[in-house]
Amino acid sequence: MSEHASSLVQQPITDVLDATTVQRIADDVWTALVGDGEVLVPLPVPAPEQTVSAWVQITGPWCGAVVVTCDQPTGVALTECLLRARPPAVIEPEDVDDALGELANVLGGNVKSLLPEPSSLGLPQTGPTPPASRPEDLCRVDAQWRGQSLTITVQGATGAPHAERNEVPQ
Amino acid sequence: MKILVTDDSRVMRQIVIRTLRQAGYDDHEIIQAEDGREALQMVGAEKPDLVLSDWNMPEMSGIECLEALRASGSQVPFGFVTSEGSPEMREKAANAGALFLIAKPFTEETFREALDGVLA
Repeated sequence: MSEHASSLVQQPITDVLDATTVQRIADDVWTALVGDGEVLVPLPVPAPEQTVSAWVQITGPWCGAVVVTCDQPTGVALTECLLRARPPAVIEPEDVDDALGELANVLGGNVKSLLPEPSSLGLPQTGPTPPASRPEDLCRVDAQWRGQSLTITVQGATGAPHAERNEVPQ
Repeated sequence: MKILVTDDSRVMRQIVIRTLRQAGYDDHEIIQAEDGREALQMVGAEKPDLVLSDWNMPEMSGIECLEALRASGSQVPFGFVTSEGSPEMREKAANAGALFLIAKPFTEETFREALDGVLA
């Protein structure tokens, strides 16, 4: 590989942080934002068929996104916790987008602080789960909250240059 | 005293306001802005005693708002409440005239440590 190409290669996220670190960040976020006694248990449960995701993009020496994924009822329950809403409070879809986006934003800000500078953080987005690029550039926490699946991924951007860029994308 | 809470997330504004109350600042008037541009206008119109602002926002970021305030001669006390707390951002905030930077996630103790000197 040429010197120029080498400078374009993105270091895999797993060289910088591991799932334990992401879980530790999530633990702090859950305690502070979701509520005392609310725990994100690092034990996977079967993923729901339909999910919603929120993410923030990180741009810098490492490009990618921090993504939070769960099913819609779990998103509503998380929103109720963040707002400390009690029935009969009505949670609107935009509230769920906002709440999940803020969880991704706070997780993303803390992940970014561990990455090489200069990096910048984008605004939260929500929608279908964005595709991950490569397994080597992916840090994943499969967890459960209140018994429901919740996944946090720190994933390299699709199209970001990688050391093994000649391999066929998976 | 009057506190202007600025964040493009309604959920986060509610969390900040709740944390202010939990930290003991429950006798202050709270007003809200959705981005830096609205905050800039509200500082002129509402004359808050303190601005608490997110950093990353559409239309106008928190740091752009602070720089615009200082450029216009406003010396309103200004602090960031943001998801990023790197040394570089803290330095940038301080250089622009911010009194403090509270990184998310935060607790009521974090708020007291940052705000007691400002609101006492």
